Amino acid sequence: MATLLMHAIEQGLAYGIAALGVFLTYRILQFPDLTVDGSFVTGAAIASILILDGGDPFLALAAAFLAGATAGMVTGFLNTRLGISSLLAGVLTMIMLYSINLRIMGRPTLSMLRASTAMQVVGGSWSPLGSLAILAFIALLTLAVKLGLDLFLKTEVGLALRATGDSEAMVSAHAVDPRAMKMLGLALSNGLVALSGALVAQYGGFADIGMGIGTIVTGLAAVILGGSLIRSQRVGWMTASVLVGSLVYRMAVVIALRYGYAVGFQASDLKLITALLVILALVIPAVRERRLRKVSSC
Amino acid sequence: MKRGLSALLVVGLVCCGMGLGLSAAPLKIGICKIVAHEALDAVEQGVIDALTAAGYERDVDVEYLLANAQGDFGTAVAIAQDYQTRGVDLVVAIATPTAMAAVQVFRGTSTPVIYAAITDPVFIGLVPSATDPSTNQNITGVSDMIDVAANLQLLRDVSPEITRVGIVYNPGEANSATLTAMAQAAAASIGLTILTAAADSSANVQMAAQSLVGRVDAFYVTTDNTVVSALGAVLAASEEAAVPLLVADPSSLAHATLVHGFDYYQHGLMVGAVVLRVLLGERPDTIPVTYQSGAQIQLNLDQAAQIGLVFPAAVIEQASVIFYGGQLWKR
Repeated sequence: MATLLMHAIEQGLAYGIAALGVFLTYRILQFPDLTVDGSFVTGAAIASILILDGGDPFLALAAAFLAGATAGMVTGFLNTRLGISSLLAGVLTMIMLYSINLRIMGRPTLSMLRASTAMQVVGGSWSPLGSLAILAFIALLTLAVKLGLDLFLKTEVGLALRATGDSEAMVSAHAVDPRAMKMLGLALSNGLVALSGALVAQYGGFADIGMGIGTIVTGLAAVILGGSLIRSQRVGWMTASVLVGSLVYRMAVVIALRYGYAVGFQASDLKLITALLVILALVIPAVRERRLRKVSSC
Repeated sequence: MKRGLSALLVVGLVCCGMGLGLSAAPLKIGICKIVAHEALDAVEQGVIDALTAAGYERDVDVEYLLANAQGDFGTAVAIAQDYQTRGVDLVVAIATPTAMAAVQVFRGTSTPVIYAAITDPVFIGLVPSATDPSTNQNITGVSDMIDVAANLQLLRDVSPEITRVGIVYNPGEANSATLTAMAQAAAASIGLTILTAAADSSANVQMAAQSLVGRVDAFYVTTDNTVVSALGAVLAASEEAAVPLLVADPSSLAHATLVHGFDYYQHGLMVGAVVLRVLLGERPDTIPVTYQSGAQIQLNLDQAAQIGLVFPAAVIEQASVIFYGGQLWKR
């Protein structure tokens, strides 16, 4: 049971970084960015070829972030300079990235089985922690990203970014270029998504051209799920809620896998069970809230 | 008297031992695949049947944990981790992403991982060498690599007028990318030119196939999961162009002019044989990659008649199954 929990948390946090990226564009910038399905794989691709070349796995994570940021800027360019609508710009970049990612990897699947990934290094040098070493590493990295994001969103530039999401007219009246803000937001967001892709690839031991499919869906699920569980307008709580949402989603998958058979479900019902568990996770707090309200209204 | 007693004692001990053995926990074997797909399902069934035939009765001697990753990377990893926490004794991983996830999770452990339905395990980095298994640790398996050169030669044998061959494939599938590259490399020496059309999802197969109409003398589809799942579209394009369609998957005979390949149920039986070897004590790092052999040629004469193609006698001689007059005829 403990190992089950550990794996769910590891995956939940690793994918949670991508969810933070989706949160930044979807919630803060009010820009529905579909680039993420592509930039997630770009991060994985860049990291895996660097690692297979003998590079440092941690620097590979940083390189992945930069690659993702570049992808985000392409979408930004299409939207702000060429006037292509936000949704379409994201889709176009995602489509381009499919071909570019294949070129980067050189083949549809790349195995890092015999290479030194971040998990290997951490597992070795943090050995006193035993099997918790990888969890500790992922948790620390995710926490660092979350806190970094929180701090950034409270800076002048960060506030300008948040304001751009609320009203572009207002920010341009305050001598802030909304186009530059969008570029920054998209770059940062896709950088985070690519970082997540690199981390997940190292965790899984391989990069696959199809591993990004559904990133926008699971990212939004985490954002919305988290937002329903923790309602707050404060940045620190909002980012925390996104991570919680991601954890709940991954937990649902792990539980569905483990106990689905016992309830008579087949292997192909996995997605159904996962969705039902997520609905349960959403309904229970809502029901509790309604009950509390009824009690207090007496 | 003493001898009788001691004999009884020995028999008693043996019975006790057998009794203990019989009441021991059943073996746990995890079988996972990347998607539910006719070929992959056939492999799964083949493995189970091979083990049952060898005396491992389902739910008595062996418990199967079947899983399907629904095409999702994260789920493939989660399934492998689930197997680990449940303490499986052996993993059978069908198709590339599930195999990759399984070998990563069971890396450095003693649990054997047997991969199946992977075209080139060396190319994707699963094992460093096809012939020398000594560094493979706990990994071994069966490859379904088809003889691409033989397929192309077969097209040449069907009609000397075939000089340009069109391949519809998904560049995002490792097995397919490998086979297409092999086809391009082998084509020149067989006197053929290859034109390719990429389809990254089953929805795009029709467009890709249509783009080759009028530019090729034959269509060729390898063991590409994406294209095979939308084979009807390729067949339609080949009929429009009045050219034959060769598919490397025998189960697709109804949607092709001719097929040349392996039966995936047979593949499953071969995987089962490797599993049995490992269960009986052979170490995975002593078993090199097993390549499937015994490709069959099957002809669809009805479809050939529709495009006005008559198979030469030499080709008909090599066929093991013929579809004619709406019926299957076996040799």
